[in-house]
Amino acid sequence: MKTVDIVERIEGEAHLKLEWRNNIVKDARIEFLNFRGFEYILEGKPALDALVLTPRICGICGQAHLLATVNALENAYRNANIDIEVPQKAKLIRELGLAIETLDSHIKWFYLFIMPDITALKDNKIYKDYEPIKGKKWLGATKIASDIMRALAIIGGQWPHTSYMLPGGVMCDPTLIDLATMENYIDQGIGFFEQNISGVSMNEYLQFNSIDDLNKLSGDLNDFKNLSFEFGLNNSGKSYDRFFVITDILGFKSGRIKQINAGKITHSKIKETTEFSFDATTKKHSGKKYSWAKTVNYDEMFFETGPMARALVGGRKFIKAIHKEHDDSVFTRVMSRVDEIAYLLNRCKKIIKSIDISEPSFIQPKVKLKDIPYSKAIGTVEAARGSLMHEVEVEKGKIKSYNIITPTVWNLGPGSKIKPGTAQKAIIGSRSLKEATIILRSFDVCSVCTTH
Amino acid sequence: MRNKPKVLWFQAITCNGNTHSLLCANPSRLELFLNSFDLIYHPSLTTHTNLLDIIDSEEKIDFLLVEGAIPDNSDFFSISNKPVKELLNKLVLKSTYIVAVGSCASYGGVHAKFELNKNITGVQNSLDTKLQPKLKHKVINLTGCPVHPEWILQTLFIIKSQGKIHLDEEQRPIELYSTMTHHGCLRNEYFEWKIEPDSFGTKEGCLFYSQGCRGPMTKSSCNKILWNGVNSKTRVGMPCIGCTETDFPRLNMLETTKHIGIPAEVPLGVSKRAYLSLTGVAKTFKINRLQDKLIDYKDR
Repeated sequence: MKTVDIVERIEGEAHLKLEWRNNIVKDARIEFLNFRGFEYILEGKPALDALVLTPRICGICGQAHLLATVNALENAYRNANIDIEVPQKAKLIRELGLAIETLDSHIKWFYLFIMPDITALKDNKIYKDYEPIKGKKWLGATKIASDIMRALAIIGGQWPHTSYMLPGGVMCDPTLIDLATMENYIDQGIGFFEQNISGVSMNEYLQFNSIDDLNKLSGDLNDFKNLSFEFGLNNSGKSYDRFFVITDILGFKSGRIKQINAGKITHSKIKETTEFSFDATTKKHSGKKYSWAKTVNYDEMFFETGPMARALVGGRKFIKAIHKEHDDSVFTRVMSRVDEIAYLLNRCKKIIKSIDISEPSFIQPKVKLKDIPYSKAIGTVEAARGSLMHEVEVEKGKIKSYNIITPTVWNLGPGSKIKPGTAQKAIIGSRSLKEATIILRSFDVCSVCTTH
Repeated sequence: MRNKPKVLWFQAITCNGNTHSLLCANPSRLELFLNSFDLIYHPSLTTHTNLLDIIDSEEKIDFLLVEGAIPDNSDFFSISNKPVKELLNKLVLKSTYIVAVGSCASYGGVHAKFELNKNITGVQNSLDTKLQPKLKHKVINLTGCPVHPEWILQTLFIIKSQGKIHLDEEQRPIELYSTMTHHGCLRNEYFEWKIEPDSFGTKEGCLFYSQGCRGPMTKSSCNKILWNGVNSKTRVGMPCIGCTETDFPRLNMLETTKHIGIPAEVPLGVSKRAYLSLTGVAKTFKINRLQDKLIDYKDR
């Protein structure tokens, strides 16, 4: 039997095609049928216009795209043997913007996207506060996400869609009042984490290092934990158990893990292929080609990217302990994303304290991009959903080509029957459509980023 | 209008930035909105309803909010296997007020620049010609990339309470788009005295002269109704990129095109001669307070 379902609440839509045998999913296809052509839009444009255009790839992770563009353009200078100086203050302010955006994304994802599905597993009035639009917890999550975002507007002017970072630094020049105000918003976030998410103090939570610490949870994460164990989400959604982090940022360490063995990464081993992907110029929609998403491998293997990869490669003890017991299941994946909220709130505090306002915000690059005959470079970032890479070719200040590999391509890109993609492999073996949908959602699907 | 008007949010070719902008509204205002209107469907937020079922039902919609640009084919983009334009027109037939939320829905925006997919445009240009005379109200365009959440809420609340809204020639609410982005910018004094910043990344100087700021040529309330309740791009030092005007996205958005050192475009409605005369006068004065750092931390 075959079924096709349209999945929403994923920043767009995806079609989940499942092949069932004895009520078990034997094969799964995740089809992304919409394409907006950002790489084509960027071609021929002035290079600095990419700072305005790439954040508009995604309304929820635009700052990650902005930083990837900035990193790629700065590397384009370096690859043309031109030094480019970036003040430490600007680097910290950029990281802060990325961290705040990631916090907003994780909080909204937990309350608006995954918990409505998890609580729907059980018909029980005690979960009515999670109900979209009306529920107190749903509203509380939008409130705190909106409050935290004010911190980003302090340095970026607005969110979504600011382009306050550029090669050489940032456009803003915050005062101590600005920094203290940002810290206030982050403290509100910490209060929310303590009172609503974990039910324990931030200090106590950050000490968690064993599987038994799960018993200390009492907030909304405890509701998630209880429902997960009741419905077996700790045994659901397991994939290759291979993890990939593309760059060192926000204290995350780049690297990969394959069957517990950790290693360094080499960018040249990242390969993007289109065996199953439509072609924009020929619009070929037949045969094996079924999605706009491409396939990306490292060393010819699928790897999972995102918060679970960052926690494991970086060695965060609580998540390592959970992973040891429950592998790369839906449970570990969701716990990792929520754990990252605590990690990033704490990190934001540290970054704010280490900003020296007497440093410059921006150092004008010595030459203009249009005076560089040709350069090619990549820019990498750890975005909310995982490793993001932009690759740009610049010719006399104009973009010759632009290629974007998003985290969701790593996780959701198509593979074959013999070698399914990371999310495909996780979904195969599901016992119900509900379970398959929750597994898909556990990757924090962003349809607009996947095909861009 | 019923006590709790029904609102349906339809998404076409978009980045969902307007949805996330709405979620960033002042929390009490967002709650008031959700209590005052009945949001029957939003693809990212609601769980109980399905778009195609609503289209097939007899249900009437008071406010159809559209986020994203509309393609006239299904080669690159469709929704639930249906052509976007067909769904839009079916929804329009059921709706009293149609609001294009954001620049993409208003006129195509960034997505219209994808040239392989021809004829991507906004809501107004995608309506069936036969349908046009049946419209109860002109399409309301809320331009901006993204739109400010308050602009959405105020538009809905004005219509709910006053039963009417006045639109400008671009079909934007005139009260929201009558002033320039420049109005309320904290750098206005630098504009008056024609003082440029040394570079990006400073509190001082007006971004109109070199950084490409479109503040004096763009209609929006960005410096009047602050973003995220606290700030605006130009206040922090990011030039206005003119995202509420139909020529967005333009080319070379982060630098000012100049002719013999003078910005090629001058503030809206001001003649070049007037602008040059005033600039000449302003530049003859050296005002130390404006030349110095705004805050001097030294020895304090």
